[in-house]
Amino acid sequence: MSVHQRAAMRRNVILMVVASVLLLLWVLPLIWALIVSFKSESEVLAYPPNIFFTPSGQNYSDALVGDFSIVPSLVTSTIVATMTTLLTILLAVPAAYAFARLKLPAKKTLGFYTLATQMVPPVGLVIPYFLILNKVGWLDTYHGMIIVYLTFSLPFAIWLLVSYMEDIPFEMEEAAFLDKASRLQTLWHIIIPQVRGGIAVTVIFVFLNAWNEFLFAVQLGGNTVRPVTVAMYNFVSVEQTLWAKLSAAALVAMLPVVIIGILGQKQIVKGLTVGAVKGGGRR
Amino acid sequence: MAKETDATRQTLSTSISRRQMLKTTLAGVATVSAPGLLIGQAHAAGQFMDLDSFRGAKIDWRMAEGETITIGVIPAGYFENLDKVLPDFETLTGINARLEMIPPGQIRQKAVLDLSSKTGTYASHAADPMYYELYVANGWIDPLDDYLGSDKLTDNNWFQYEDIQPGHRGATSVGGRPYGIPYDGEATIQIYRKDVYDAAGIEPAQTLAEYAANAAKIHNPEQRLWGCALRGFRGAGQNMYIYPSIFRAFGGEWFDGERVTVDTPEALAALEYYVSLLNNYAPAGVENWNWPDIADAFGQGTVGSYIDGHGTAAVVANPEKSKVVGKVGFARWPKGPSGKRVTSIWNWSFPINAALSEKQKQATWLFSQWAGSREVQIATSYAFPGAYKRTGPNRASMWADSQFTDMMDGFGYNFTQAATESFANDTDPDWRPRLPQWPAVGDTMATAIQAALVGQATPQAALQEAQQKIDKIVKG
Amino acid sequence: MPALGTGKRIKAGEQKFALLLTSPALVVLLLTTTFPLAYLIWSSFHTINLAMPFMDGFAGLDNYIDMWGDQRFWHALQLTGIYTVSSVSMQIVIGLGLALLVMQIPRGQWIFRIVAILPIVLAPVVVGLFWRTLMLSPNFGLVDFLLQWLGFEQVNWLGAPTPALISVILIHTWQWTPFAFLVFLASLAALPLDVYEAAKIDKANALQRFWHITLPLLRPAIVIVVIMRAMISLSAFAAIFAATGGGPGTASEILNLYAFKTSFIELNFGYGSALAVSLLIITMAVSGVLFYLRTARRQEAAS
Repeated sequence: MSVHQRAAMRRNVILMVVASVLLLLWVLPLIWALIVSFKSESEVLAYPPNIFFTPSGQNYSDALVGDFSIVPSLVTSTIVATMTTLLTILLAVPAAYAFARLKLPAKKTLGFYTLATQMVPPVGLVIPYFLILNKVGWLDTYHGMIIVYLTFSLPFAIWLLVSYMEDIPFEMEEAAFLDKASRLQTLWHIIIPQVRGGIAVTVIFVFLNAWNEFLFAVQLGGNTVRPVTVAMYNFVSVEQTLWAKLSAAALVAMLPVVIIGILGQKQIVKGLTVGAVKGGGRR
Repeated sequence: MAKETDATRQTLSTSISRRQMLKTTLAGVATVSAPGLLIGQAHAAGQFMDLDSFRGAKIDWRMAEGETITIGVIPAGYFENLDKVLPDFETLTGINARLEMIPPGQIRQKAVLDLSSKTGTYASHAADPMYYELYVANGWIDPLDDYLGSDKLTDNNWFQYEDIQPGHRGATSVGGRPYGIPYDGEATIQIYRKDVYDAAGIEPAQTLAEYAANAAKIHNPEQRLWGCALRGFRGAGQNMYIYPSIFRAFGGEWFDGERVTVDTPEALAALEYYVSLLNNYAPAGVENWNWPDIADAFGQGTVGSYIDGHGTAAVVANPEKSKVVGKVGFARWPKGPSGKRVTSIWNWSFPINAALSEKQKQATWLFSQWAGSREVQIATSYAFPGAYKRTGPNRASMWADSQFTDMMDGFGYNFTQAATESFANDTDPDWRPRLPQWPAVGDTMATAIQAALVGQATPQAALQEAQQKIDKIVKG
Repeated sequence: MPALGTGKRIKAGEQKFALLLTSPALVVLLLTTTFPLAYLIWSSFHTINLAMPFMDGFAGLDNYIDMWGDQRFWHALQLTGIYTVSSVSMQIVIGLGLALLVMQIPRGQWIFRIVAILPIVLAPVVVGLFWRTLMLSPNFGLVDFLLQWLGFEQVNWLGAPTPALISVILIHTWQWTPFAFLVFLASLAALPLDVYEAAKIDKANALQRFWHITLPLLRPAIVIVVIMRAMISLSAFAAIFAATGGGPGTASEILNLYAFKTSFIELNFGYGSALAVSLLIITMAVSGVLFYLRTARRQEAAS
């Protein structure tokens, strides 16, 4: 091993250690939540914080199979978030394609409208949504909740996808047109594969937002649609906060999104890449 | 967000968890035998109660058969117990009643949204007593004297509305007319560490000055023991739940004719007392603490005394959560300079949504009557076949019932007596300003109190600013 | 947009086709957002106070005039500015710093990417609750313990005005810096190596290389992150609501919280709507400026 190599290695090790320590510090609250989730309630707030205790899985079994099981709510959240994501992608991809690549009448106005709808503070929309859903009898229904979530996810998704589609070099599309392929086929065969990363990023954020939403879930849902963010309040009752059980429930509720994130890792990394010199330097 | 009732969790001091106990017991009820079933008349017996005791009432319990009603409640042990015995209601009436658990911070908004848009989603809900003026001003709920006075709907010989504690009846009435049936309630009392007080040779305070002196005597942050704590978090049901008792004890009056007054010398003296007490003897962070946080700290053995709803006893007497079980004593609110003891009282009650159809209203009334009845109060309290027994039943006769008081004695020294005497002697119908604008007035006061506590403003400036805002709120 | 100028590809019927593609999404949006938006604006011009139904009626600009003289509004506006600017810039600086650091690591970057996603995934309500008690509470929380153990003075994080504002900013930064980190890490990895090689030959030092090469190349990524995060920061709610409720006093009450309190706690829907509309206008103005900057850059770069 040369002196150079050795120096490089030492440098790498130091970097590794520094980065790992920083990362650990960053996720310390989550590590602590994980530890707390195995404690008994009376030990949670012990001070100085103790890390030596007999771990118990009781909190998890209470959160999953106890009287306050969050499992039915996990199912609800899964349905709502999945349907919201599917519909969003289905509607947003063609729309984004038209915005980014085609000559659309009144494009600027429509684009502005789409964007503006995303900026309305949710707080200002609770009452009108309540009134509308009540009018059509969709309070506390899956379709009602999904439609409300669509109004937030659609503009966001269109906007995000447009920025990805604008980056695809036109040369590729041109080649397809020479083949006389129809535009839909162009969209399907040329554009979508190019923005797969962008779609992955859109999927995960739309899903995440629907999954973690609280304000509308609590105001527009009820006994039928009771997403997990609302159900977690069973551990934050008027009487007391059950920290250990809340931690267990919150960590379990994170899993679905984390799994999607891990599965879609490669595409997401591609999608999160902004400003790379791809597509013939269009920027 | 105001969420004020504390509750009450009686826990058996056993290592078995509450939930497990509950399940085992329930399974026992369902499969083996239970007092109700032993009577041998399966048709007369509910799962939890003997239905004959309800049929003794001279009303037709099945008058609204087939109706479906939803009642909004909050996650809390006392409503969970009600939910558990709810099948008996369906057996009795043929009405399909469902409870919906709404997070405590959101129940008021959800109820207001429902009532104001007349959707009739919630036939009834666990109502904040301070919201009745608002509901009534808008005509959102029905007056209940029509219901109580109707022979068809109510047999008062059986229901005995007057047995409900006067403080609770008053809190759910507007202009002398009842609008809600109280289900569960609390009085606030001193909760203190008896071992610490005994070691220091002090008694629970009789006056607010003594309360501060007691706190000073045991205050020892080096040893992680702080003298006292009171709710510091901003909210009409948080700091503005405790401050009004001090305000009244200092002789404060909320009304000067029609005008709401919050910047009188008594108000200032009360706020100065509150601020200096907490700044001197409460743990850092109390400014952001709500009652569960205080109970958590007390349960860890770090707070010498606090004043809060009597239901909080169940949390600090629960070995799952608390390290001070068996070391807790209770006493009434200390007297203020005016010579008055004023307890903050609270209840959750059931009004009837005015947007319902006649049949649904009948169904809802039957539900309120059923839930507020002595039978259900007992069945969800000491007779409940689970580990958690309610400590906030609504009825005076129950507070005199030895089966109930025996259960209550288990929470700590002088508990039953302190709570009973508070209900009997220390309630004050005017302890908070009752008016339709309460939500805005309460929140404005809450903001002012917290601002004074953290030094964002002096007590005087905070109250003057609040007074200006409240004048504007009330005038419109 | 340059994409439009290439007329030769535009065939007859393209407009129709484009409309066909966008119409499902636009119809959904029109149906679901137009009424709520119109209702919001309508109610901002009315007196709607549930506590005083007899006062209800058309108010003209009264709500907006009231706002002009409402100190709490200006205070909330100022806090919104502080909150947004500081949390977004911290996300950029820390996110970029961490990304540059992790880029240097030859192996195992994927671990960092996966771990980094975790704070983002935690529900904001829970984030607020956890930080409030388990982390920041004096004499009980982990952060309090660690800082005292390291010899720092105790800080009453959420119980005093300025620390409370700092705390809610830090909490938001904690949750969302990973997003900036992930974007920067991905973008750094895609940067062309040849420019660096050329720079190395020119004997540029690390700082010079960062300043003159990396940063300009990353500009599009930075702009995107700023736009996305600023829009979210402006309407932050759940975590602050759970951690401080806007307090103590009004120390962490950003405009969004003030609008919420006015509508849902004080039940003054008219004034609450006016506050929400003002927040909408501010958000649109801020993002308008950011978008303009972005487009201007793009065109500059494209020409």
